[in-house]
Amino acid sequence: MLIFQRYSWWVAAMIGLALFLALVGQVGALGPFQGLFLNVTSPVEKVLNGTFRPIAGLLSNAGEIGSVRDENNRLRIENEDLRNQVTELQQNAAQIKDLQDALNLTQGDKSLQYLAGNIVHRDASPFTDVVTIDRGKGDGVQVGMVVLSTKGTLLGKVTKVTGTNAFVRLITDTQSRVTAEVLGTGADGSVRGTPGRGLSFDLAQGEIAVGDTLISAGLGGSYPRGLPIGRVSAVSGTNQDLYKKVTIEPGVRISTAETVLVLTSFIPETLDLAP
Amino acid sequence: MKGIAAVLLVTFAAICQVTVAPLFPISAAVPEFVLLSLAVVTAFGNPRRGMVCVPVAAIAYGFLSDRAPGLLLLAYLPLLPLSLYLEQATVPLNHFARTMLAVLITGGWARTLLVLGTVVGGATAPVGSVIGQVLIPGLFLDFALLAIVYVPLRLVGWSGQGMSLQRGTYYSSL
Repeated sequence: MLIFQRYSWWVAAMIGLALFLALVGQVGALGPFQGLFLNVTSPVEKVLNGTFRPIAGLLSNAGEIGSVRDENNRLRIENEDLRNQVTELQQNAAQIKDLQDALNLTQGDKSLQYLAGNIVHRDASPFTDVVTIDRGKGDGVQVGMVVLSTKGTLLGKVTKVTGTNAFVRLITDTQSRVTAEVLGTGADGSVRGTPGRGLSFDLAQGEIAVGDTLISAGLGGSYPRGLPIGRVSAVSGTNQDLYKKVTIEPGVRISTAETVLVLTSFIPETLDLAP
Repeated sequence: MKGIAAVLLVTFAAICQVTVAPLFPISAAVPEFVLLSLAVVTAFGNPRRGMVCVPVAAIAYGFLSDRAPGLLLLAYLPLLPLSLYLEQATVPLNHFARTMLAVLITGGWARTLLVLGTVVGGATAPVGSVIGQVLIPGLFLDFALLAIVYVPLRLVGWSGQGMSLQRGTYYSSL
């Protein structure tokens, strides 16, 4: 083969380099170089983000005028419904507080602490959805910490940290799994990312319907309980199916999120803080 | 000097890949700026510059996206040998067709390899989704972007280079 006669040494060298990079990456030796590289390139990223984000937002909105109008109508109705629910919940809250005091219940750490960070770039393909934020080890961010939207919706989890940056695997990444339950009904299962940066729900037990709200179940210790994830937008399948196909609409438009909150006060059970 | 410019170009393309590309998805696929820049460097520069730029691009993109640089290196690896193979194939193809074919095949290989990487990491990747959401839109984007970039470069007078390696010209080519 002529191509191997001409390029054989280069192809061999590149395969060797790929193996070398895989090995040093496994032991974490690339971390400092990665941190340095991210620092050097961050000014360029800021300029590109500042330039292209508004354009993308404009194009996105222009292409969605019809759906935004429908969504607006739906939200108006939903808003009225929610106002009524809030009134009811406020009445219930006082009653629950009295009961909690009476039973001396504790719900874990109530003093949640957050650290705000900006998304500096995003690696999005149909099967991966990872963002980089401008907070790192120096700010106290650690692998495993949970990341939320500014409204408190679950976004993902920190998978890697450099000195000044952290990589966050979003829940829409196909490698993400979050144990979740349906608010109110107790049905539970697992939320996972689907190809195309969507969300689906594998229902383990219980009943589910369009419009139901999903929250994190807190099982497994990776995520705290009670974080909003999204709403059920479609349910398909029959009773004979092992799992019904449940599509989830995320509670936040992840593609246009710019600021996130790192939940620094929640320590996942898998996180080893021993020196 | 041109070598340094080529390295800066692929590094800039890697930055664009994680900042600009995700903002303009088609279906769920995003443009492959890194592969496009490597194709431009090899097609209009010379193969030796491409040989330097492939690992640089893989490492830069890996650092920025937290993907494995080694996997990215393997993903972009076929571009150069494939370009030479197409140049010396018995089927007569002009420079644009050779470049396009090399980019499309490498793009398909790269995306498939990266999907396999995510599957190894625990993701589920139905074949239908891989073809419908990754390969077909991705190849369409590669085709469109290369055509958009290639034609103006030829119009301003850049000429396509051959892929054959000449002995003793490595440092002068940088």
